[in-house]
Amino acid sequence: MKGEVGINQLKRRDFLKAGLVFGAGASGLAAGYAAVPDAFARAVYAAKKEGMTNDNILVMIQLAGGNDGLRTVVPLADPALHDLRPKLAGPMVSQALPLNSQYGLNHNLGGIKGLWDKGKVAIVQGVGYPNPTFSHFESIRIWETGDPSRRQVDGWLGRTLATSYDSNGHPLTGCACGATDAPGALRDLQATLTVIQDQKKFGFTGGGEVEAAVGALYKGTPGIYGALFDTAIATATETMATLRTSASNYQPMADYTDKVKLVYSSKNQLAAALQLAAELIVTGTGVKLLHVTLGGFDTHYTELNRHDDLMGYLDAAVSSFYQDLSAHNMADKVLIATWSEFGRRPKENASGGTDHGAAAPLLLIGDPVYGGLYGEEPSLTSLDNTGNLKYAVDFRSVYQEILSGHLGADAAKILGSSFDRVSFLKAPVTV
Amino acid sequence: MSVAPIGEQAVAPPARTRGITRRQALAAAVATGVGVGVVRLIGGSMQQIATPRRATTTDWISPLKSESARITQLLRRTSFGYTAAHLEAAMSDGFSKTVDRMIETAAAEPPALAAANTPGGRFPIVQLQQWWIDHMLTTPTPFAERMTLFWHGHFTSDYRKAADDTFMYWQNLTWRRMATTDLRSMLMQVTTDPAMLRYLDLATSTGQNPNENYSRELMELFTMGAGNYTEDDVREGAKALAGWQLPQPDSIATVMVDKNNNLTRRLPVFSSQKTGVFNPRRSYRGSITYLGKAGQLDTQGVIDRILAQPATAPFIANKVAQHFVTARPSASYVKSLGDTFRRSKYDIKTLMRAVFTSPEFAADQSYRSLVKTPTEFMVHGARALGLASLSKLIANAGSGMGQSLFDPPDVNGWPNNESWISSNTVVERVNFVTAALGQVKGALPSPADAIHRHLDGVLSPQTAGFLNQAADDRARWFITLASPEFQLK
Repeated sequence: MKGEVGINQLKRRDFLKAGLVFGAGASGLAAGYAAVPDAFARAVYAAKKEGMTNDNILVMIQLAGGNDGLRTVVPLADPALHDLRPKLAGPMVSQALPLNSQYGLNHNLGGIKGLWDKGKVAIVQGVGYPNPTFSHFESIRIWETGDPSRRQVDGWLGRTLATSYDSNGHPLTGCACGATDAPGALRDLQATLTVIQDQKKFGFTGGGEVEAAVGALYKGTPGIYGALFDTAIATATETMATLRTSASNYQPMADYTDKVKLVYSSKNQLAAALQLAAELIVTGTGVKLLHVTLGGFDTHYTELNRHDDLMGYLDAAVSSFYQDLSAHNMADKVLIATWSEFGRRPKENASGGTDHGAAAPLLLIGDPVYGGLYGEEPSLTSLDNTGNLKYAVDFRSVYQEILSGHLGADAAKILGSSFDRVSFLKAPVTV
Repeated sequence: MSVAPIGEQAVAPPARTRGITRRQALAAAVATGVGVGVVRLIGGSMQQIATPRRATTTDWISPLKSESARITQLLRRTSFGYTAAHLEAAMSDGFSKTVDRMIETAAAEPPALAAANTPGGRFPIVQLQQWWIDHMLTTPTPFAERMTLFWHGHFTSDYRKAADDTFMYWQNLTWRRMATTDLRSMLMQVTTDPAMLRYLDLATSTGQNPNENYSRELMELFTMGAGNYTEDDVREGAKALAGWQLPQPDSIATVMVDKNNNLTRRLPVFSSQKTGVFNPRRSYRGSITYLGKAGQLDTQGVIDRILAQPATAPFIANKVAQHFVTARPSASYVKSLGDTFRRSKYDIKTLMRAVFTSPEFAADQSYRSLVKTPTEFMVHGARALGLASLSKLIANAGSGMGQSLFDPPDVNGWPNNESWISSNTVVERVNFVTAALGQVKGALPSPADAIHRHLDGVLSPQTAGFLNQAADDRARWFITLASPEFQLK
């Protein structure tokens, strides 16, 4: 019953009848990668959801800056690690939480290890793509668009929103929590999405009067940014209305805290962002694709403490989130997946850190997951010509399983072709 | 503040008209003191435009044929807004003399920040943010501040990782002093800047075991752009650049950091601004191959080799154009600016003069084609209202709009234009207007003048209509500053 709510809401409401399109010049903006998604939002037809019969939800956690895969899923028995990382390897191996005789999780991932023990964590090792770039921004773009050839401008989740969901008038279908601007993965010119940095502050000072005045002021705004502004305001006011209801219906069933000691303080309040995600999920707002970010993984320097702290922060936030979803009987609907633009160089540098690398593991967490190790850990003794790990699994294979197996979307259409399967889901909705 | 009448009108427009026609908009404009003909619409009633996925003809009608509009556009893009006095001076000088004066006037130095003497630079970052915003609000040379913000976003550093707010203060002083110098000097300066030495890890890189962070971003983000160098260049450059260390402090202070546990720390104290020092023992002595040439190479050699690359001038020109002219500069425009820049030996004044005097800057398509950064939007708002004491609010309100000074999102600095528009940021912009108006104690300046000065009298039918219906000056100011028009430049 509960599961029906979201999809029914999507079908009931149709904002098109009220929607006029003022999109002057938006095609000009669309020419560049940075174009923001929703310029034509109100022109998109709702009726293209055939086959989308589940109410599963995806939460992507971006570990921004390039997460060190070798310190996340640690090779326990490879002597080469100690040669490559004389300073960093010792403690990370000795303290790791063993998954088997070969691999262990970072010692600060105790909560996620607990979920692993219950079969709720899939680790796909050696994930990357051909001819890796070591630029943060190019590699982020590749992961966001799902296109190593760099021709695609829309995000892979944005395309999913546009092709598989009705985001018109339902801006919470895709939502970036804890951010101020739309993450590239969720961008698409034909999708609407919401961005909420801090739920407590998300509202107009001055209340309904200001909201009504601003809502009316931003209508039919001329110029290349006109539709973007109008949609942003309309999205904000619709979201505020939803949040008023959801906030009163939500009781967190876990402790979320962002009071975490880090070597450098973090820009991202990961726990608060995941708590907002939980609220949106458990109160039936129709949310489908959520994106949150934890930054600070660009550990060129003093990686030991820095990375351990971030692992601990990630672990605490994800554990609370899972506990909360479980207590609200929603854990079976939600797949949590981490991603990062690249791993780090196996060889450490003089600063006690590591430079930009290539292949790395991805974590998939939640009840829909069939726990275990997937993919293939790249060899530490057969590095590529840049001294980096060779990938074994194309990241789009993981996307494909998420899209078709979890969301029931047309993965080949969204990704442009089909990839080898990685069968980390317990009961894929489509095969 | 009461905006109720507007809201009521908005929710329930008169049944007969349903929205605002062109004639009504014109009438509204006249009623609010704006000259006839300045509300411009193409294609008549906007209600007729409803075909999905087809570019419509609704656009701002550019007033840039008139010199006064070109002057206000110039000021909006170069000076965090302006007071009536600034505008008057610029109008009497004319466009080209204003450009000259702006570019040729040396930057006014801000007052020294007392907190910068704090050992270890351990003072709250908000003090530094407020100090800078105070200067933006009052400086006689706002163009220097606008350029300082541009360079802060380009050669960016983040106070969290720099871990010494005095270093961040120095970096700010540096970009102001060097704002309109030349790229070659700036690149040497940024390489040895203490905050940057920390931020991109050059301070801990050695020739024997180099850290690639600075070497990569120097080429990718500061000068050439991705695709114009190889991974080998990154590695070899890292070797050539190794050896820089943080400056030696003038003294060391023992500071109590935790009274309860009687915990003290020894922290550096600097009596004056310093740059990094080169330690040959940490450098690389061999020959390297960098950007196609082999040989011994020091830091200046690395920079000169970068400046010899054809990608460098257009890369900088493109970024400047995106910040000052248009979100999507054409390839030919970028090439032309880049050629001028390179021929001038990378002189920033020459580049900026070429930008402001280019036909593209005054082209109709350029009108309102840029989105104000949060800092520009807020400082412009405060200056328009005549509020000189708004720095605390501005410092704190930026983060929800996506811009917290000295705390860029990543090493690429801040994104621009459409990236400033999201459901979160637009709400925060409106909330800032509400808060700023709440701090106006006495009478407000004339909103009719403001519409003329700050919006060129070019209003959307909605904005014009609401201004006409507004209950009082406070509501008119709210509409003016919260309008889409005021978010653009």
